[in-house]
Amino acid sequence: MKRNRAVNILFTFPCVFAFTMIILIPFFYGLFYSMTDWNGVSEDIHFIGFKNFRYLFSSPDFLYSFLITIGYTAINIVLVNVVSFMLSLIVTSRIRFRNFYRAGFFIPYLIGGIVLGYIWQFIFNNALTAIGDSLSIQALQVSFLSKPGTVIWIMSVVNTWQYAGYIMLIYVASIQSIPASLMEAAAVDGANYITRVFKILIPMMANAFTISLFLTLTTSFKQFDMNLTLTNGGPATRFMEMPVKASQLLAMNIFSTATANRMAEAQAKAVVLFVALVVVALIQVSMNKKKEVEM
Amino acid sequence: MRGTVSRVVSIGLMLAIIFTVGSCSKPEQAAKDVELSMFQLKVEIKDAIDGYAAKYSAATPGVTMKVETLGGGGDYGGALKAKSQAGQMPDIFVIEGLGGYNIWKDYIADLSGESWVKDTDLAMKVDGKVVGFPVAIEGYGLAYNADILSKAGIDPASLTTRAAYEKAFATLASKKVELGIDAPVAMAASVAGGMWWVAAQHNLACYWGGGLAFDDTSVIDKALKGELDEARFAQYAKYLQLLFKYADQNILLNGSYDDQVGSFAQGKTAFLHQGNWVDPNLKQLGVTFKIGYAPHAFLDTEEKGLYLFAPSWYCVNSKSPNAAAAKAFLTAMATTPDGHDYMVNKAGMIPAFKSVTLKPAGQLSQALMAANAKGGNYGVFFGMLPDGAGQNVFGPIFDLFAQNQKNLDRFIDDMKKAVAGLPKM
Repeated sequence: MKRNRAVNILFTFPCVFAFTMIILIPFFYGLFYSMTDWNGVSEDIHFIGFKNFRYLFSSPDFLYSFLITIGYTAINIVLVNVVSFMLSLIVTSRIRFRNFYRAGFFIPYLIGGIVLGYIWQFIFNNALTAIGDSLSIQALQVSFLSKPGTVIWIMSVVNTWQYAGYIMLIYVASIQSIPASLMEAAAVDGANYITRVFKILIPMMANAFTISLFLTLTTSFKQFDMNLTLTNGGPATRFMEMPVKASQLLAMNIFSTATANRMAEAQAKAVVLFVALVVVALIQVSMNKKKEVEM
Repeated sequence: MRGTVSRVVSIGLMLAIIFTVGSCSKPEQAAKDVELSMFQLKVEIKDAIDGYAAKYSAATPGVTMKVETLGGGGDYGGALKAKSQAGQMPDIFVIEGLGGYNIWKDYIADLSGESWVKDTDLAMKVDGKVVGFPVAIEGYGLAYNADILSKAGIDPASLTTRAAYEKAFATLASKKVELGIDAPVAMAASVAGGMWWVAAQHNLACYWGGGLAFDDTSVIDKALKGELDEARFAQYAKYLQLLFKYADQNILLNGSYDDQVGSFAQGKTAFLHQGNWVDPNLKQLGVTFKIGYAPHAFLDTEEKGLYLFAPSWYCVNSKSPNAAAAKAFLTAMATTPDGHDYMVNKAGMIPAFKSVTLKPAGQLSQALMAANAKGGNYGVFFGMLPDGAGQNVFGPIFDLFAQNQKNLDRFIDDMKKAVAGLPKM
């Protein structure tokens, strides 16, 4: 048995080593730097306690980014999961070409967020406005990306287009693991399709919902690449009497703070993002877990 | 038995991998020759500077010059920080102003004793010490399409006051169909298109330096203490409003750099708010019409100058053992015919050194060089602002003004508040 233990340690070592070096140590460094005035280069670092955090919660651009990220996440959770659940129902029915549809819906997920952002930017800024101009539809003539009120919704639509196929696969796997006898028995008892979906399918799939909601929640909260290329944070809007960037999500706010050489402040924002994400995700998972059933 | 063998083999393999990975990072044997490294951010001159570095290495025994380029969309500042943290700080690197100087000052060597210092007005100086080698002169005014203006009966030489601009824009707007233009001006201000810098950096620089002596920083000095010169700013805001009003609205609110420059190159707009760095783009787009620069005349009084500046400076790493060789490389660039040939003919830049007699090919660069020779130009001081002020503070204000152009007072108010916040940044 002793030899086995040595082997265990040896085999877990690379993983533990990488995790420590890449995640754990930088994390505690990050906590430390968030309480300093470090600019990214200087060796002259001063400890300033929670000053960065106090500043954050009085700066409109950060508060706005925080709120808009919560809004964006809420829209996404609903939109992505509703769409992908409906897609999964479609591709598990007896429809023809269902395997083709499965592959088709999944493909957008394989396109990187950067490329995808540019493609959709072209569609909204050039293609749709050109259609609007030639057909004289006023609503289309000004790009949706330049209206502060719609831009978050547009980002959610694009994110849903990308992400729904992936979540759909999780639902499909879950639907297929439900014994057909259950659905058949319900059908024999006279339950119609809608009733069967709501009374049998959804309760049986509760664990799939847990993981899907968790994934959509965390990815939306951390959204960055598509945000950068699709909207770049623009257009501007007004919040607490100050001009701020209407679609600048938290991750991008952190990024632009860091690239302005305000490393410690950016790090403090990252710590806030981390705490918020952990709290929200824990609440969500524990609530969902209660609804899961054992088979 | 078999299990034991395979276990031993796999452990052996793993250890082998760990050790190979470890040994990779051992430093190589120190070479006899000096290997100089340079890290720069102008993507458009990458081939030219690589070529010049190779030529310099061949001509200088004992020195090998290697240039690395990261820029355009790349995060140069971030990459440089990563290099310094990794102990691979290059011998020559780039800063873009006082903000950069304050970050990197521990690494920046004193260049006051170099022979090229007397030959330029644009060396970066801090407290009387020369710390940066000017990469080039860049500059801007309001570029115009001479063909369209002459068809509309406008003399570009008359554009020296805000009133003259107002008249010219109105004339152009009334003859849109006949001239085949979408709008008089190609201007960009959107955060979304990544074009905040055209409005909130370059155009705002008119307020900081326009109509003053070339090195007069009084207006921006005041702003850095939190004060806006309201009478002056009111005139500036009216000029900006004028540019916004007569701009192609789609380009203004959404457009990218390509949209803005493309519209001017295709003759869809008569004016372009961009600097001489668009010369290569205009050439690529097959522009054949005559182009010139009119001044950004925002004051009630006459203004005739263009805005000239060095956008970035080369700094020598003072902690590097090769600092002397790095200084020699910069001196050669500024003083030898090969260096001049590289800056002007290969890289297409306007050198900041008076002894250079070669002429750049681009029309806008030539216009700038002529203006530089004539004198009476204005300085560009946005490099003195705290890091992030342009992108994160002024950018959204200008974007919002572009969306609500009628609301001049709101814009002035926003700017007053933003400037008041500068000392705390």
